[in-house]
Amino acid sequence: MSEPTLNFREVSRVTCMVHQPLGAKVTDCLVGMGAHTVLVENARAVRQHIRPRPWVFPGHSMEIHGTPVEVFRTTVPRESAEAVMRALIEVLDLERPGHGALYIQDLLEHSLLEPPVLRVQSEKEGLILRDLTLLTGILSQVGGGDALAKSALKLGACVPVITRGMGTGIRDQLGLLRITIPPEKEWVHLMLPAQDAVGIQRLLIEDARMDRAGGGFLYQTPVRAGVVDPLLRIGRQEHAASMEQVIAAMDELKCGTGWRKRYGDLEDPRNEKMRPFRRNHREITFICTEGRVDAFVRAAMRVGAGGATTARVRCLSESDFEGGIGARERGILCVPAGRADAVIEALYETEKQLEDTHCRIQVLDAPSVFSHQR
Amino acid sequence: MLKARQNSTRMKSTDQTRIHIPISTAASMVGSYVRGRILEQIKSVAFIILYLLAFQLFVLGSTPSNALRVAAGLGLVILGLTFFLEGLILGLMPLGERVGVRLPRKCGIFLIVVFGLLLGLGSTYAEPAIATLSTAGSTVTAWGSPLLYRLLNDSPALLVASIALGVGVAVGVGMFRFYYGFSIKPFIFTLMPLLLGLSVYCALDANLRNILGLAWDAGAVTTGAVTVPLVLALGIGVSRASGKREDAAGGFGIIMLASAFPILGVMILGVALNPTTSRPMAETDFFAPEYRERALRLFPDESALLRHAFQHGSEAGRKAFFGGESSEYHAALRRLGRPEGRAMIPASMSAAEWLIRRASESERAFLTREVPGFASSPRETATAWASVLREEFASALLAVLPLTLLLAVVLFLFLRDRPRHVDEVVLGVGLALMGMTLLTMGIRTGLAPLGDEVGRPLPRVFRSVPREEGRIILEPFDPEQVLTGFTPEGRPHRFFYFTERGTTPRPVVFHPDQYDPETGRYEHVLERPPLFGPQLTLAGIAMVFLFAFGLGFGSTQAEPALSALGRTVEELTVGTIKRTGVVRAVSLGVGLGLMMGVARILYDIPIVWLLLPPYLLLLPLTYWSEEDFAGIAWDCGGVTTGGITVPLVLAMGLGIGGELNVTDGFGVLAMASAYPILTVLLFGMMVRARQRKGLQNVREEDGDE
Repeated sequence: MSEPTLNFREVSRVTCMVHQPLGAKVTDCLVGMGAHTVLVENARAVRQHIRPRPWVFPGHSMEIHGTPVEVFRTTVPRESAEAVMRALIEVLDLERPGHGALYIQDLLEHSLLEPPVLRVQSEKEGLILRDLTLLTGILSQVGGGDALAKSALKLGACVPVITRGMGTGIRDQLGLLRITIPPEKEWVHLMLPAQDAVGIQRLLIEDARMDRAGGGFLYQTPVRAGVVDPLLRIGRQEHAASMEQVIAAMDELKCGTGWRKRYGDLEDPRNEKMRPFRRNHREITFICTEGRVDAFVRAAMRVGAGGATTARVRCLSESDFEGGIGARERGILCVPAGRADAVIEALYETEKQLEDTHCRIQVLDAPSVFSHQR
Repeated sequence: MLKARQNSTRMKSTDQTRIHIPISTAASMVGSYVRGRILEQIKSVAFIILYLLAFQLFVLGSTPSNALRVAAGLGLVILGLTFFLEGLILGLMPLGERVGVRLPRKCGIFLIVVFGLLLGLGSTYAEPAIATLSTAGSTVTAWGSPLLYRLLNDSPALLVASIALGVGVAVGVGMFRFYYGFSIKPFIFTLMPLLLGLSVYCALDANLRNILGLAWDAGAVTTGAVTVPLVLALGIGVSRASGKREDAAGGFGIIMLASAFPILGVMILGVALNPTTSRPMAETDFFAPEYRERALRLFPDESALLRHAFQHGSEAGRKAFFGGESSEYHAALRRLGRPEGRAMIPASMSAAEWLIRRASESERAFLTREVPGFASSPRETATAWASVLREEFASALLAVLPLTLLLAVVLFLFLRDRPRHVDEVVLGVGLALMGMTLLTMGIRTGLAPLGDEVGRPLPRVFRSVPREEGRIILEPFDPEQVLTGFTPEGRPHRFFYFTERGTTPRPVVFHPDQYDPETGRYEHVLERPPLFGPQLTLAGIAMVFLFAFGLGFGSTQAEPALSALGRTVEELTVGTIKRTGVVRAVSLGVGLGLMMGVARILYDIPIVWLLLPPYLLLLPLTYWSEEDFAGIAWDCGGVTTGGITVPLVLAMGLGIGGELNVTDGFGVLAMASAYPILTVLLFGMMVRARQRKGLQNVREEDGDE
């Protein structure tokens, strides 16, 4: 094999978060189109569940209810992305509430594999929202994701999807004392109207108490287009249509989510409330064979990255099975734009030194990053 | 996350890879970590300990003997569980998973299956289930169940080999399944009807019928506390590496195979040995000299055969052994008083207990007359702590080290890989070793004796007649002091006042036949009255069922292997199925299973009748349930019967079985494995139905539009 060269391509990442029983359809659809790397992760979608109180007790109770979801990710050429999206919407019937959500993000990717040439045809017309932002929260404790999800549901933001990950970095430098700090993290994915993202981000930080030491990490990444799942609430419905259905209908009528704008004054960076937010960061994602992730994290930390959050994912598409092993790890680093090149270079050098890493490096803007600072 | 900025104030970083933390901060971190883990384990064992104590204090009306030792043992159980679970999470499971992930990278399917086979074989020899099975079969007689006796006592090596081969094949088949991403359901639908059909076939044969309990119990107990998490982690690794879509919650189903194949192995062994084994027969025929040659096929020599007659037989059997020669028979009885004769009596019984339980009236009279002081032979004293520590450490070493070394050798030398944190894995293996030693020590000195004190006298709660508990010789006895009392009908009866140590005098009935005027001795029989009175045996039986349920429910909650499985389930399903939900469903199933097991002993129900209904119900439920829950549920059946449940269940089963003269204590554990599958499948269907309900409603509403 010839020595790889750092070569970034402009691609789109398609992320599809679907109700678990629909997962097989996604795989069949993507593999059928010719996508050569489909990464899958188990997740849970969190909704409010309203039901009558048991026995003779009056009224209704509301609790947080998790349903199993599978998150599929694949990268496709930018020009095919929307066609892939439409095909998936059609196959999965994503216009029905509860089936799931889908979004595409434009990014730069380094991979030894050429982007796939996809055989995709879909004439499906439907509502695709173009003014969305992905808000990603990384919470330091298992169960912490529920607090953030609860706040998001209370704000009527979207259906939060939670996955699990592991924190690496500073913890690994404590020697054996690291066992006293749980490595588990919860990863919360929220799709929000772009114009309200900062406001909701700020409210979530306050509501989920992320403005404290060890509270977590919350950042935005841009979304090119997406379809959201409007089923925020399950159970008793008191009106002819639920609020979520009304919102979905309004989005369709207004051709977007612009009409929902609620937190206009916060957009101004001079606003005092915006001071804790750090601007101009990059989200660097690397995907490698399971077991190799530590080498990449160490290399990134040597050049200034603060640490990474990793998750185990399964690679489904057999055309990517050069090594015959489907176990992959996905790591995410959020670094200031000025340091991004050095980190990417370090990751690339690590890839060159190690065997069978099947490494992919993806870079995306992260315009608003928050974590507690003293 | 700890921030770099914090380091400058609290921590001192000397290089990029290691942060040095002040000792006080480190101590506080470790303290808080250990406190959290210990509290978690206190919560998990609190129910069973309080339940046993409450039952002993309030129902049986007795107090724990040697309370300090029992309390220390219970403390060790908590510490042991804490260390062991942490050892599993830090060391054994990551090691198993790493090997599982890397194995398909370097090896073909053939080598993976061979590795699985070796691991399965090794795990059975490392955590021998034969000790548990021997305890459950300690009351088996060579004349009543010759085949069962042969398997347990004459050919235990063959029995262990059949179980080991079963587990080995199971792990190998499991690896094959994960590698190709096959569903667990076809395996269930092939294996279970085969096992049930073979059970029905065995039930029709007088000799094979008796090994059914052994076979199904072997399936239940063979998967130990180390094997389950290791094999589960390995399976999860291989499953993830295979990258098949079907394995969304992959890794489950292998414990089910490791339970089913040993059942098959034991039954096949039984069928193979049956033609060369004698049929069940009467005790006197078995011990008769003319049958001696055939009887000796089951025993190494005549002395072992005679020992069996003394340990399990009746007076008729012992007399038959000597062919009616009373002089030789009496000489053998006299030898019981000598140190070498003590071996004739079961080690678990004192001489006085043997006199009450096994000896006949005439033997008792003979021994009291001819071997003075025989009845007062001291009871077996509690083993010293140092000796317990030595023994349990040796078995923990055997259980943990060989399997860990096998995995480590494969990972380091063969796969040329290493765990993510080698130091953490080494610490984990050390903790698992220490935890298992402390846990088994604690079970042996605390939990098991406590369970024994409640389980063995349990028949009192359903017995309708008083039971003889012992005899005391009153010497000299003055018949002049015997008083006369009258019944309401005016009938006279004679009684005297008897004062036990530390109690107030109480009247006891005088039996003239127990007084020997020549020696001036009166033999006073100590009796325990029925707990609920003669009319309340039904209430007593209900109480036994309640006890069995609580025992199963409580002990299962503390099982470390189940805790590890529940944790894995929660992790793989990202919290959509909670660990507590799985543990509760399994505990409920074990409770129900134990009730059925007790019913089998109480009403002498053939085991096949208890096995068929739950398993026949399980097959359609499995068909309808989702793939992930099918694997989880059938695995739960294998993990329930671990180190905490088994000694407690055996104490209860043998207590009741001994009272009712049941051939063996088998079957209870098999029931405790079957019902959790049922409850977890139902729990899974309920969870999924609830998860889908809301979404379904929305689809219907959309359809209406």
